[in-house]
Amino acid sequence: MKLTNILVPLAGTAIDPDIIEYAIALGRSHKAKITAVHVIEVKWNMPLDAVLDAELERGEEILAHAEKVAEKLGAHLTTEVLQAREAAAAIVDTAVEKGSELILLGMPYRRRLGRVYVGRTVEDVYVKAPCAVLAYRQEEPK
Amino acid sequence: MSDVGPPEDPQRPSHVPERFERTSGRRIGDARVKIVRRRGFRRGRGVIVATEEVLEPTSVTGRAVSVLREILFGKRIPSERESEERLTKVTGLAIFASDNISSSAYATEELMRALALAGAVGLAFTMPLTVAIIVVLAIVVTSYLQVIKAYPQGGGSYVVASRNLGVVPGLLAAAALLVDYVLTVSVSVAGGVLAITTAFPEVDPMKVGVGVVFIVLLTIGNLRGIREAGVVFAGPTYFYVASVAVVLAIGFYRVISGDIPTPVVPPKLIEPDEALSAFLILRAFSSGSVGLSGTEAVANGVPAFREPAARNASIVLIAMGTLFGTLFFGISFLATRFGIQPDATETKSVIGLLTQTIVGDGTFFYVVQAATAIILVLAANTSFSGFPRLASILATDRFMPRQFAQRGDRLAFSFGILVLAAVSALLLVIYGGSVNGLIPLYTIGVFIAFTLSQAGLVRHWLRERTPGWQLSAGINALGAVVTGVVTIVVAVTKFLLGAWLVLAVMPLLIYVMWRVRRHYQRIEDELLIPRAARVHLARRAPRVIVPIARLDRSSLNALSLARGICPDVLAVHISYDEEGAASFRARWAAVVGPEMPLEVIVSPYRALIAPLLSYLDAVDGGDRSRPIVVALAEFVPNHWWEAALHNQTALRLKLALFNRKNTSVIDVPFHPDDEDAHH
Repeated sequence: MKLTNILVPLAGTAIDPDIIEYAIALGRSHKAKITAVHVIEVKWNMPLDAVLDAELERGEEILAHAEKVAEKLGAHLTTEVLQAREAAAAIVDTAVEKGSELILLGMPYRRRLGRVYVGRTVEDVYVKAPCAVLAYRQEEPK
Repeated sequence: MSDVGPPEDPQRPSHVPERFERTSGRRIGDARVKIVRRRGFRRGRGVIVATEEVLEPTSVTGRAVSVLREILFGKRIPSERESEERLTKVTGLAIFASDNISSSAYATEELMRALALAGAVGLAFTMPLTVAIIVVLAIVVTSYLQVIKAYPQGGGSYVVASRNLGVVPGLLAAAALLVDYVLTVSVSVAGGVLAITTAFPEVDPMKVGVGVVFIVLLTIGNLRGIREAGVVFAGPTYFYVASVAVVLAIGFYRVISGDIPTPVVPPKLIEPDEALSAFLILRAFSSGSVGLSGTEAVANGVPAFREPAARNASIVLIAMGTLFGTLFFGISFLATRFGIQPDATETKSVIGLLTQTIVGDGTFFYVVQAATAIILVLAANTSFSGFPRLASILATDRFMPRQFAQRGDRLAFSFGILVLAAVSALLLVIYGGSVNGLIPLYTIGVFIAFTLSQAGLVRHWLRERTPGWQLSAGINALGAVVTGVVTIVVAVTKFLLGAWLVLAVMPLLIYVMWRVRRHYQRIEDELLIPRAARVHLARRAPRVIVPIARLDRSSLNALSLARGICPDVLAVHISYDEEGAASFRARWAAVVGPEMPLEVIVSPYRALIAPLLSYLDAVDGGDRSRPIVVALAEFVPNHWWEAALHNQTALRLKLALFNRKNTSVIDVPFHPDDEDAHH
């Protein structure tokens, strides 16, 4: 598969640097453009374009960190902050708009009720995305 | 499929540095908002952070300059990456030890040059004096290990002396080091050029120019940042050590095997014209002590090392002392053993003659000469890291202009680097690039700094009394005595040869630094707000005066801005005659009307600025409660060269008003191509 555009949603978890590194490794041979997005989920009792300073600052911090990781690896990253009601829908729509061939998702290792917890966003993106989706699950902590 | 919503929300606070773009999704209810950053800014924690984009020039010339600057100095480095710019032990040794290690290339020569004045009898003292200098070196290195232990934040002699002995001794140490750093650059570069002229005598007439070019190259290298300078300059430092080590190894092998070569004779021998005396021996010792220069650099720059900085700095200091001691001993021993004599014409160096004697004048001779030339030039690199760092500490303590404390695009103290380059190049030109002319100025500063820091440390240990303080105090006391004696010897023996100049410059520097501090202190007293004070900002309505030369779009632009500031606006026109005044009044009445008052001043002597200033005095009337604001309409031409076609009245007025009390000047530029702003 020829990759020209890879979308990497980042949530500010410990595996963010790993998925950036992985996306760069995947995209390098294809000279693919890598876009990292952070989606702020806006509650229904607020307007979609409400100025959420704290969330926005955190989002920018996550993306700035991702840019630094990419810079150290000699790659360039395009970054975007989005606000949406549901992160998954915003990720899928952005991937469609940008013509991304791949969405690379990160899953921190979490357990709930004795099972590995995948998370709503990862599950929804898997189901709804028209493009390829790759989920990178963090290894089990020792 | 996406549709972009209205770009701006009028309700949104104007300080929000982003634009919100609403986009619909594939399904109803999946709308999302893309947050578009304003060019050059992004959010930080409770602040707006300016990104590198704001520094990107928009004009073609600006972009060309930016590209050139990036090629020469590299990309800008943000402040947060300071820790990544620190030095490893390998690069640290290359940066901080290059001065000291390179001294091995000329320490023996300086020693022999003085002793040669007493002929062969004098030269017999080469080895005993070499050993004496190595002993002093061991004491100084041990003492500086104590400095690193006690002051891991760096600063070296200045910090130690000022914290423990007082401000004046601290400033004396700083002045001594600053002078020494400048001299290091000049001497090292002159020494490097000498190594080139040894191999290629035809370069001799151009030695000053070549030296200045080397200083420029070093300046560019150092403006690229300390880490990069370390990486670039590490290779040559180790190359020198390795190549001289090979020469020494072959030399020692020939001594052991009894294969003593015939020494290469220099173009002209030094004529013995002095009897051997204690004074001559002391002078030779002080000349050879030049090899100790640069020993303090590591202790000065501890924060430049990667963590654990103090430990890494200590390892580098020990490695530096060991390398220098070994090379110096080896060169002196073999030079004495093979009967090498210094060159009176300064065209051939002792190390060059020794290499030629041992390995002949084949390729390896040129390799060693090249390595020596490069290390001698790079020795100046130690100063390029030491001088700006010390100057920044002095600037932080307000003893030097604040510019010295500011870091440049590559986190280097650029101003200090440029000042060092300029002064050392000037010195090189004044002394015609002669090593022998510059050496007498050298060394004294180093030893003053050594002595003061050791004495300061004795005081430190006596006060702190930390475990094992007795041993530390003992080491530093010995260091203070030994280096103090050497300081006196150097000062006495080299006084007439040029050391007087250094001794005269140092008090002057101390006085200047003292005055700089007093200036900043006075300014601070005037500007300082008491820490606990809650200030009530009173409104002070100004009187706005708009000088109008001609009633045009530019002046109307200034008038409307003035109106926005305050309703109390007065337009002032200066006319050269009554006719012109009447004509201007008529035009004013037609265009502006009576809603804005106009004062017309007739100036029969065709002066513009003086009548306006006097008029402001009259309006002001000594009433300091109402400030005067002068709004100046200024026409900005499209091209820089078009500025010559205008008489720059606004600029002259600005300069004239700059020192006027109670007066603020607002520059209202008019860009002829900015159509949007004109309506």
